[in-house]
Amino acid sequence: MSQQPLASSVQPTDIYGGDEVAAIVLDPGYCHTRAGFAGEEMPKQVIPSFYGQIGERELFGDEYINPRANFEVKNYMNRDSVVEDWDAAANLWEWMLVERLQPPRPLPPSKNGLNIGDDGDVVMDEDGNPSAPPAEGAEEGAEEYEKPLYENPLLMTEAPWNSAKAREKAIEVVMETWSCPAFWLSKTPVLSAFAAGKATALVLDVGGANTSVTAIHDGMVLKRSVQRSHVGGLWLSGQIRTMLDGSEPKVDIVPTFMVENKKPVEAGQPAEARLRKFDFPISNSFRAYEEERVLTEFKESVVEVWRSPGRLLTPGNEDYARSQPGRVFEFPDGYNQMWREQRYKVAEGMWDENAAYGANNADESSRLSKSQTIPGLIKAALDGVDVDVRPNLLANVVVTGSTSLLNGFNDRLNLELGALYPGMKIKIHAAGLTSERRFGAWIGGSILGSLGTFHQMWISRTEYQENGAGIVEKRCK
Amino acid sequence: MSGQGSKFREEQVLIICPGSQTTLAQMGCNELTPPQHRFPTRMFPSGESSSEEQNQQSQQQTSWRPFHTFSRINPKTGAEEWVEDVDSLEGAVYPIQGGHITNMDAFLAFLEHVHSVLTTTYHNTPIMLMASPQWTRRDCEAIARYIFEKTKTPALCMIHSGVATQYGLKWPHLTVVDVGYEKVDVTCIYEGRVVAHKDVGAKPDDEDIDEDGSGEFNGEGISGGEVFTRRLMELLKDQDFDHEMAEQLKKSNVCEVLPYVPDAPELMELPTAESAAATAASVPVVVTSSGEGPMMVTTSTAPATAEDIDATLNGEDKVIDEEGVLDVANIVASGNTREFLAKQEKLKAEKAKAGPGRKGKGQESDASAAAKPVRLPNSKRVKAIFHYEESITEDVPIAPPVTAPPKENGAAAAPAAPKDVEMAGADAAPAPPTEGEDAKKDDSAPKPEDGAVKEETKPEEQPKPESAPTEPTAEAPAAAAQEEPVPTERVTRKVRRDIEVGLERFLFADRKEIDRIVTTIYRTIQNIDDMYMRPSCWENVVFVGNGARIRGLRDNIMQTLQSRHLISPSSATMFTSELPSNIGTPTGTGSQTPTSSFAGPSGPQGGVNPLLQAATAAASLQIPGQQQPGEMQQTHHFHSQTPTQIKLAPLPTYLQEWTKNGFEESMFLGAQVAARLAFCIHNLDAQGVEAQRLMSLSRVEYNELGPKGIRSHSMLF
Repeated sequence: MSQQPLASSVQPTDIYGGDEVAAIVLDPGYCHTRAGFAGEEMPKQVIPSFYGQIGERELFGDEYINPRANFEVKNYMNRDSVVEDWDAAANLWEWMLVERLQPPRPLPPSKNGLNIGDDGDVVMDEDGNPSAPPAEGAEEGAEEYEKPLYENPLLMTEAPWNSAKAREKAIEVVMETWSCPAFWLSKTPVLSAFAAGKATALVLDVGGANTSVTAIHDGMVLKRSVQRSHVGGLWLSGQIRTMLDGSEPKVDIVPTFMVENKKPVEAGQPAEARLRKFDFPISNSFRAYEEERVLTEFKESVVEVWRSPGRLLTPGNEDYARSQPGRVFEFPDGYNQMWREQRYKVAEGMWDENAAYGANNADESSRLSKSQTIPGLIKAALDGVDVDVRPNLLANVVVTGSTSLLNGFNDRLNLELGALYPGMKIKIHAAGLTSERRFGAWIGGSILGSLGTFHQMWISRTEYQENGAGIVEKRCK
Repeated sequence: MSGQGSKFREEQVLIICPGSQTTLAQMGCNELTPPQHRFPTRMFPSGESSSEEQNQQSQQQTSWRPFHTFSRINPKTGAEEWVEDVDSLEGAVYPIQGGHITNMDAFLAFLEHVHSVLTTTYHNTPIMLMASPQWTRRDCEAIARYIFEKTKTPALCMIHSGVATQYGLKWPHLTVVDVGYEKVDVTCIYEGRVVAHKDVGAKPDDEDIDEDGSGEFNGEGISGGEVFTRRLMELLKDQDFDHEMAEQLKKSNVCEVLPYVPDAPELMELPTAESAAATAASVPVVVTSSGEGPMMVTTSTAPATAEDIDATLNGEDKVIDEEGVLDVANIVASGNTREFLAKQEKLKAEKAKAGPGRKGKGQESDASAAAKPVRLPNSKRVKAIFHYEESITEDVPIAPPVTAPPKENGAAAAPAAPKDVEMAGADAAPAPPTEGEDAKKDDSAPKPEDGAVKEETKPEEQPKPESAPTEPTAEAPAAAAQEEPVPTERVTRKVRRDIEVGLERFLFADRKEIDRIVTTIYRTIQNIDDMYMRPSCWENVVFVGNGARIRGLRDNIMQTLQSRHLISPSSATMFTSELPSNIGTPTGTGSQTPTSSFAGPSGPQGGVNPLLQAATAAASLQIPGQQQPGEMQQTHHFHSQTPTQIKLAPLPTYLQEWTKNGFEESMFLGAQVAARLAFCIHNLDAQGVEAQRLMSLSRVEYNELGPKGIRSHSMLF
């Protein structure tokens, strides 16, 4: 037998008193909410920020978003990526952080129904003070122990334009509901830059509901640089819908859940699919959510950003695109068609306000303005910062957000920046891994939360109790 | 750090794969055998204190016993004594529910029990423990802590069940669909890494989820095998089916999921009286003379897949296997040599007569079925007979049992063995309660001490269907009480009843439940972040878990996926415009001019199919047994719509034992392979040594890092 130098009978040198402080990172976004332990590569839990509701009942997680009677799909965030429904937010977060990341907990002894006795209950007097003073501390301690996250510090992310009120609400939820020992609130672009290994960067975050450009200098957000517009994933879905509506013949999106099975049909031919029947009405919100799944697939596999010299509207380019072999997309019901220049055109509005669908609308409000396009945002952001830092920022452009995964996005961005700032050194940093791009802010938070030095920064529970919710404004700048 | 370099012997590794019902365990990974031991995953709180007393105690002090233990007054001696009742389920606590560890204390006690049963006092046994994806990080840490602080284990490797399956089947890319007792896990693995995971199944403390939209919350949050059992029970309420009957019926050959028929109103073709007659007129010749005979396979509608045939053959083999288990020494020793030989002969003759159509378990081949002039495939028959076996336990006041000495394992072995044969094709989900039976199952392993040996002949006598098909086989009583014989013997008898079931045996396969699994598979694979990984995952789907043993379930799911989600080949023209480009991260030098999209029209005959290219490139990157950090690979830019192909992953054929056993438990095989890699392989290069070091947590590392070491030193993702 091989030699066995391992003295396996030796007991550990010291007995570990429970696990180490495991900070949790929570990154809520409009489309998805991500959560996991600091120090890990990827968030353990990624669930849609959309949740289902049946009557009073809330259902969280993708697996519950299925056709059901009286089922509405809602979102706790608003289109500005700021929490709107705090009750739902707290419930959803708790579901993720407590139900999914923590082991199931036995009911505390005071609640499991086994300990109902004469002497157990502390009798409260009129003022709500326990009549037996010594029990007070014990009771309170026990109560805190019963709260779900009493030993996990929590790092939460927020949009740079988050309101002071929302921030205070956040710390309140965390401290009051879950009894976290420590809390920190960090802005997403800072964390994304951090994930890319940069303290100074121009962060372009092309997300689901918003596209934002933020200049970060030495880990601080330059407030005047923050620019955002709604030209993100949802806007792109809108463009695709307009395009489908306007195509000949009009294409209806039949979401996957409605299809029982399908037969292959030739391109452009009407679909031959057997649809599922439901003996209850399908709510519009649910259908819209499911249609969004199809559109996401369309974006992944068909939409491409025009990336040859000149814009798509430059004479000749569109005709050239039309002459190229396009891509076929098959919808869940089997309808399929080849998309040629359209697949460039839907994304062109991000760069060129005149190319977007609806650009010729008389209706002013639905039209994009130049400042809402990505080049416009970048220009405005850089105009808002000191001239001296601009070269440094342009040399560190960090691209993040899932909509930036569009085919050709980085090439186009490079071209646009080159045209906007000729002669400047421009370097784009975009993570190669899809997941790093999708979870940029979370990963930054994971790194930050696992740093030893960061533990001195946390807002502790005691600080919160002494200063109230206002402390978050003072500390988390 | 010399400690890491030291290796363990393959026979010394303890492998444990816990499930919510049954835990597979084995000592040693040298043979790559199917699991030798099956433990029911349950513990019993020890009942010494009265309930009031127990409440006073803090919960941590509950002690756990592997069997129901109670005290009683010995009627003979009048003294109080403690009795372990191996059959009783009273007060059982199942520490794992739907994959979640719901009672850590009980689970740890259970691990301790398994450990102590299988290991000797010699404490040089590293442990390979399979973890469900549902286990939280804190669960894993608690387990690591317990194992290192309470046992003398030198090293622990925890492996994700999906990854374990992948090691067992050796394909680098895999979609593992694990159909368990109350949950279904879908895990996508690309190059040895888990890239996506979703599961269905409720957490135990979830309130009931209304799955069918009926407006009532009816406890259907769970998914997996148990759902089908409950459904059967519900359908057969009128025939007074209880849970156990439904469970046996589900596992029997007559129960199957019919193929998915896209055009049929019910999405399956149920046999009717006319169709049965019609098929009987036309098919029988083929069935009986083809020599292929698996009656359930050859239908005109269902393409006979290799798996079907395999499954049937497995059933056939199993009998032989079961017979082969008996080693001659024991037969001779037990003195019934002649009797045994006669029986063998008879059996052989019977088999020859029945021909290939004989089902492995003798289900159909016994009197009732054999009497029928025409053999219809099960799926074409309106009604079928199912033999229900129940064990009736009663207290009989005779002192000496006729054949069996009151041995420790006797009671368990008797009921377990016939069941085992009966269910050849689908036996694994209910764990036979004790180890004695397990020992019997495995012929290659050394026989464990005493008890098991003598009993072996006895169980073998029973399953002979021709000997006494319906009579209670009363000659095999066995004592449940241990050690001290007592005047009242607890006698367990097998009673077999024939029950005719109609179309319920097909209808139990709820579309709702299958759709749920199908949707989960679809969403999981389509949610893989990197698109280029999706085709490989679609092309290597594998079903594991004993819930997947339900006949036809796997095929039905695949057929549903194919007819619902497959992107038709006519759309494949998109490949012509798709050339892989590596413009993932522009360098800013302007070198990434997008020539690729302007390469001019390249017909399908022109370029290499990028799918193929991506697939081959990825395949060549794979180094088996090593986890590749994702950052190292090139970014493929793959933008094609998926799935264009949905296929089952081919199962390895070189492991005969496993082919017989079925690959539903391939995670156990994988755990053995991984255990070898983690604990036993020598002479690795520097990179390999490092990779190996990170596969498991050794005691030295535990002392250094503490329980959190399991986060990095494991195979959990």
